[in-house]
Amino acid sequence: MTVETLDPIAKQADTTMPPKVSIENLAFFYGESKALKNISLPLHDRKVTAFIGPSGCGKSTLLRILNRIYEMYPKQRAEGKVVVDGLNILDKGTDLNMLRAKIGMVFQKPTPFPMSIYENIAFGVRLYERLGKEEMDERVESALRKAALWEEVKNKLHSSGLGLSGGQQQRLCIARTVAVRPEIILLDEPCSALDPISTAKIEELIDELKDDYTIAIVTHNMQQAARTSDFTAFMYLGELIEFGETKQIFTHPGKQQTQDYITGRFG
Amino acid sequence: MVDLYSRRRMANRIVVSLSIGAALLGITWLVLILGQLLIEGFGALSLAVFTEMTPPPGSTGGLRNAIFGTAVMTSIAILLGTPIGILAGTYLAEYGRESKLAMVVRFINDVLLSAPSIVIGLFIYEMMVIHMGHFSAWAGAVALAVIVIPVVLRTTEDMLNLVPTGLREAATALGAPRYFVIRRVAYKAARNGIVTGILLAVARISGETAPLLFTALNNQFWSTDLNAPMANLPVVIFQFALSPYEDWRKLAWVGALLITMAILAVNIGARALAGRKAS
Amino acid sequence: MPQHIVQRYDDELKKLSTLIVQMGGLAESQLAAAVDAIVKRDSKLAEEVVRGDAKIDTLRNQVDDFAIEMLARRQPMAADLRVIVAALRISSEIERIGDYAKNVAKRAVALNQAPLVRPVHAIPRMAALVQALIKDTLDAYITDDAAKADAVWARDEEVDDLYTSLFRELLTYMMEDPRSITPCTHLLFIAKNIERIGDHATNIAELIHYTVLGEMPKEDRPKGDDTAYAVVNAPGGQR
Repeated sequence: MTVETLDPIAKQADTTMPPKVSIENLAFFYGESKALKNISLPLHDRKVTAFIGPSGCGKSTLLRILNRIYEMYPKQRAEGKVVVDGLNILDKGTDLNMLRAKIGMVFQKPTPFPMSIYENIAFGVRLYERLGKEEMDERVESALRKAALWEEVKNKLHSSGLGLSGGQQQRLCIARTVAVRPEIILLDEPCSALDPISTAKIEELIDELKDDYTIAIVTHNMQQAARTSDFTAFMYLGELIEFGETKQIFTHPGKQQTQDYITGRFG
Repeated sequence: MVDLYSRRRMANRIVVSLSIGAALLGITWLVLILGQLLIEGFGALSLAVFTEMTPPPGSTGGLRNAIFGTAVMTSIAILLGTPIGILAGTYLAEYGRESKLAMVVRFINDVLLSAPSIVIGLFIYEMMVIHMGHFSAWAGAVALAVIVIPVVLRTTEDMLNLVPTGLREAATALGAPRYFVIRRVAYKAARNGIVTGILLAVARISGETAPLLFTALNNQFWSTDLNAPMANLPVVIFQFALSPYEDWRKLAWVGALLITMAILAVNIGARALAGRKAS
Repeated sequence: MPQHIVQRYDDELKKLSTLIVQMGGLAESQLAAAVDAIVKRDSKLAEEVVRGDAKIDTLRNQVDDFAIEMLARRQPMAADLRVIVAALRISSEIERIGDYAKNVAKRAVALNQAPLVRPVHAIPRMAALVQALIKDTLDAYITDDAAKADAVWARDEEVDDLYTSLFRELLTYMMEDPRSITPCTHLLFIAKNIERIGDHATNIAELIHYTVLGEMPKEDRPKGDDTAYAVVNAPGGQR
């Protein structure tokens, strides 16, 4: 059949490759209370995996384990394994700063640093690399281009990042993350503070970024999960209910709970 | 219903009138004080105030040595107190947070913040003046620094706490170590607030009299020796205002005017900075 | 229309219309081949057509699957929504066209075993007309041309007229020579199938009108098929 070769959108995921991240029997505690129970799932290389579920289901918590940002706060603790490229990042010996350079994160609220657009991006790069002015200029430009922001800011690189609109600020944050050249990007509800047009721009960006990066996105907007992801994980009360290809999850989910949630019949 | 509503309106009117009355009463006194100060102060203001030394009774003179002394001791106090205040404030906001030590430091700082300044003066008198055997500008500056510390510490902690957690998380998520996050991001975001705190500390100490009475004392003459007593505006005003001599009292008014204007200027500066942060 | 911010959305819509056009082209050639099989009395070709229908069915499943996925994942609105819903319906119209073409081919095999009947030349004429309808419909679909679609819609009347006259002709033959009843019945059904294909083409035209303008055509379609009321008197049976 010639139809297959005509298909411009290769959506079939290559699940034969080993996953970029493998989460195994993961549990998480806030003090005494258990926020995540026995989570196991893969994040496939250069695919977008979306986490959906009602508030408090643990999806953001799960994301915050992947770069161990939870370590900023006392009394939070993870058990189990998160294997990235064959290494368990939950091991004691893991260099947290190097880990975070490899696994970037973009947050719900845009968080530009109180400095110029240029400095916002150079900030992370300077942590790991000594670049000359020209190299740094190039790096800043390429990061802004990747985040589809270059055309809008190229004439005001040295004005404050705080002066940008919400959508631009969020793309600046994505550019800042990309500039460090991570391998994995974690997006924690990146569009929840943005208008529909800015949201669409970020979604287009995610679609382009997945050529180079493994992406995990947490969203309380399940339509966004449907639009942007290749795989979807549905979580409820700290447990992983269902994980599968996005098309399957949104057209014929395997579990009744998933079905109830995505059709808005949640009790 | 209607009855309840009209009663509420009546109660509202009464309370609003009382509040306006109280505000007017407060402002009246302020206007009276400022008015008196402006009339008396500008009446006696002349170039000589800035060029001549404090005079013996009965002769003409100025406040040159006192203005200089206040400037010097205030500067030293700020230079001494600010780093300690900022570092301690950083500890409380960024590292100590809810730990035992942090709680204790926070509590003691609050006590120090509201401690009568005469107690601080007395303390430095015991610690420095007695040991050194004489009054000195150093002792005065240290006493003022002790007043600066809690003010700066408090504003630093508050301002750092106002820095959004998201900003710290974002910097940390890029792989920045903690000290780097504090230095490059948190300080930058809190800078205007911290500077405002320092300016307020300047305003606070430039009018302090009590701690200087026990430490720097006063000096009739021009002196730049930090190991000797040094003239300063508050103590000069204190002495001159209580004296029976007409020209001394006039100079006291001028001194009061100068301090008030300086403090006003600093306060306006602080306001402007704080306002810029909000926008 | 301006592009979507999310480029992949445009790619997907393009893929959907490509599938539809491919399906339509296939159906068109199926019909042509089936009629060819009648004219050339080529049973092998007819059998090929019968087998070929599976391709159309496969494509139909692909279109439906893909359209449903797009509905689930893109949450289309306005013009996009109409395009996708229309694609779902157009695909089933084309699938029906394929079925009729297949039926024509099956009857061609039966026809080839009987002696030649005269009015067979009217069938390719009708088929050519219907093929042109399909082709123009597909053109209108590719170019979002509502005017062209409306023209197709009006042109179906010719097919109906042709069918009506063929219907009367065949009835007359059957009455004249009862031995021709079998082939003539097949021809009758073949003609009816082709006429139905024309109807489906006009349905597609209506859907194109809907896609482009947002509403179905208001006036009733002109109908030329009045065989439902046709009465032909047997020779000598007049009273």
